[in-house]
Amino acid sequence: MANITLRDICLDYPLYGAYDFSLKRRLLGRLAGAAAPIQTIRAIDNISIEAAAGARIGLAGPNGSGKSTLLRLIAGVYPATSGHLAVTGNVVPLLGLNAGANMDFVAADNISLLLRISGRKPTPALIDDIWAFTELEERMQRLPLRMFSSGMLMRVLFATATAFPADILLLDEWLSVVDENFSAKAEQRLLKLVSQAAIVIIASHDHELLRRTCTSIVNLDHGRIVNTVSLEAPSPHPFELREKRA
Amino acid sequence: MIPHDSARRPSVLHIFKVYYPDLFGGTLSVIRDICAGLKDIFSAGVLVCSRTGGKSRIVVNDVAVERVRSFGDVLSLPAAPTYPLRLWRRIAEHDLLALHAPFPLADLVFAFGLGRNRPLVVHWHADIVSHAALRSFVEPLMRRTLRRAEAIIVSDAVLIEKTPLLREFADKCHAVPFGIDVSKYNLPALRLDRVNARGRLVLACGRLVPYKGFDVLVRAAVDRSFEVWIVGEGRERLRLEELIKSLGVQDRVRLLGSVPESERVKLMCIADVFAMPSVTNAETFGLVQLEAMAAGRPVVNTSLDTAVPQVARDGIEAVTVPPGDPEKLGDAIDSLIADPERRRRMGEAARHRAMTKYSTAAFSKGIETIYREAAAAPAPTVRASRAAAIGWPHTIQIAAALAWSDMRHRYVRSLLGPFWMSIQMAIMVAVLGSVIGHFSNASAVARLPMLALSLTAWTFLNSVVLDATTALQNSASLIKDRALPPVIFLLQCVFRQGLFALHNACVPLILWLFLVPKDFSGAVAALPGLAVFIACTVGLSLVLGAMATRFRDLKPIIESGLTLAFLSSPIIWSPEMINQGSAVMRLNPLTHLFAIWREPLSTGHVAMPSVAYVLAGLIALAVASVVTVARLRKAAFWI
Repeated sequence: MANITLRDICLDYPLYGAYDFSLKRRLLGRLAGAAAPIQTIRAIDNISIEAAAGARIGLAGPNGSGKSTLLRLIAGVYPATSGHLAVTGNVVPLLGLNAGANMDFVAADNISLLLRISGRKPTPALIDDIWAFTELEERMQRLPLRMFSSGMLMRVLFATATAFPADILLLDEWLSVVDENFSAKAEQRLLKLVSQAAIVIIASHDHELLRRTCTSIVNLDHGRIVNTVSLEAPSPHPFELREKRA
Repeated sequence: MIPHDSARRPSVLHIFKVYYPDLFGGTLSVIRDICAGLKDIFSAGVLVCSRTGGKSRIVVNDVAVERVRSFGDVLSLPAAPTYPLRLWRRIAEHDLLALHAPFPLADLVFAFGLGRNRPLVVHWHADIVSHAALRSFVEPLMRRTLRRAEAIIVSDAVLIEKTPLLREFADKCHAVPFGIDVSKYNLPALRLDRVNARGRLVLACGRLVPYKGFDVLVRAAVDRSFEVWIVGEGRERLRLEELIKSLGVQDRVRLLGSVPESERVKLMCIADVFAMPSVTNAETFGLVQLEAMAAGRPVVNTSLDTAVPQVARDGIEAVTVPPGDPEKLGDAIDSLIADPERRRRMGEAARHRAMTKYSTAAFSKGIETIYREAAAAPAPTVRASRAAAIGWPHTIQIAAALAWSDMRHRYVRSLLGPFWMSIQMAIMVAVLGSVIGHFSNASAVARLPMLALSLTAWTFLNSVVLDATTALQNSASLIKDRALPPVIFLLQCVFRQGLFALHNACVPLILWLFLVPKDFSGAVAALPGLAVFIACTVGLSLVLGAMATRFRDLKPIIESGLTLAFLSSPIIWSPEMINQGSAVMRLNPLTHLFAIWREPLSTGHVAMPSVAYVLAGLIALAVASVVTVARLRKAAFWI
């Protein structure tokens, strides 16, 4: 059963200056007795989040508020400095904009490589399935990814990542690049994933998207939780929202 | 923290270097008082070293003490090689760890990240003062321990101010003054008939170690009338005895040796003046002077940067003199000896201060509060790295899949794929072979297969290491966005270059098939050597790859180092071509790394020194690799 528990998690992000990457400088500094300690910034400050299966959590907040860092921490990219973190279930993180794609490889190779990375055996039928979801032309399968527009790239990567039910899906500013048509389709698929007992965490600046897809929204600022808004109905009345935004 | 039923008391493990009955001293009585004072709230265990041997598990004052065999002291530290292991195993059995610092052997255990899941409280008894060289070496270890500690307990606030290392962690330092049970020193009968009768008995107590400054006290007794009794045992005894003899004061200065506690209380009560002539900041508090104060004695102490002159204050409970000055010390004692009324006043003030400011109840309460808070603090559990979460078989699978797709991509770009490199290699072998043919008288053609094979092996090692220096940066997206463990991409280099090396291996294979009489036994004998060669390459790629990512200026150094290694190792030339005695060649690990598989191939046997050299190197690399893989958890911060 998918589950995420964060209790009093802190992360001190080391800020490496240009000189901190130099071994010579470090050694000389130590010999001279003037070794400056590496500066850190508290990117995540005492955050506690509990998420059980079926939870869709939206992370909102200004740039640099710790959304992406928090997602990476849950994914296991960054080790937490202190606190208790437990994640059960297999995590599919889709964080940066090209999320591990090799731009020189053709689309089909990228799909099969990404499938292998997540421990699946790529078969031609499976790749065709994924390709059908992207709604891109058949011949583009044999084109290197660097020929794709960012929206097309996103379609391919999203389709690959969500081809199999994941226990925990982490998305960072994802559905904002694709066009409306695909976005609606992607949301459908996300809702389907959630119905299969998964946890989805989405970081986005698009409040409307978060309100449509999430059950609760966590507002972050300076690495702390400002407040948590829980939305009971998954799709609240769009008119009300528009009024609030006006 | 592990939830436990309320009936069970949480248990504290006290970690120190020595305990009763091997030694008596201030720090030990503090540990004993903590155990006794908190026995209703915390159950206690003590893990220490012991030189005397004897039973490893004993019970002292209802406290279970486990003693680890030590083979003597090196730089004031017990040489107990099994202590770290034993400590690691005991940590899991307790709810709270109480480290009595300084004890670098335990710092070593914590520096390795062991026992991270248990809260730690550090009792800071003293800094390392006497061994400056040792201190600079262990300071990073001590800092690591203090950083992970929940709380640091010192005996007086002045220590936080005066110790640079503690100032860094001032926010978690707590000053809890030691306590003393004044009622133990109520011996009115003795006080009345003995005290002031002779009025010239000076008492000092403590282990006979240099920082206690007893030699200063002995010198101070020269040409005076008072008597000095020194209670305690230690390694300075012989030197002190000689000093006493050479100064001719043996009629007035006596070393009493160890004395049972009850006797010591009596001695405290009959003494006229208590002296604590300590000379370094290793004396942080001076529990004995507090005992003397409880017994109502005036104190002569020294103006150290520690709590010593704060516990017994100059002019009120004590006369404070500069440390290491026998003249001033003698004068101070004489002035007290000569003035019984002042002695009585100071003694009463001292007893009053001991009773009010340093009560055992306040001490126990203070420690209890800190222990409770530390035990309740969420243990700094940090999950295991993703490599562990993903699992090694899967890690290797992913690395292999990535390497395989890299190679396929080469074929996509050109029909020959990596065979282009093999053609390059064949040309290089032909040219070098003809040049080297002129160097030596042996037939150049017969050398060609070995030359080709050596070049293939070198190309593999060289390109794996070079590849590894940039591998993590090139895969930043997969590491940060897909949360793949960084070690995958270092393994990917090995696999990728391994596949290319298999392509290159066609050149030596063809040459060997055509030019050399077939003998497969040599080839089989070379296999273990080749396996070790590959293992060393993997180790090098892990260690250098990670270091070059963390420290960007390493890459050019590694590049030029590889060129130098290529030229100074017998790869294109063979050892027989040059003077066998060349020290550079014999010390060069690459010589041996090549010898362990080339020699079986050409002669059928291998020199043992080469095997030993290479295996030692492999073990060192294995250790470094384990450390590196642990460190790679932080690689996402570097890229």
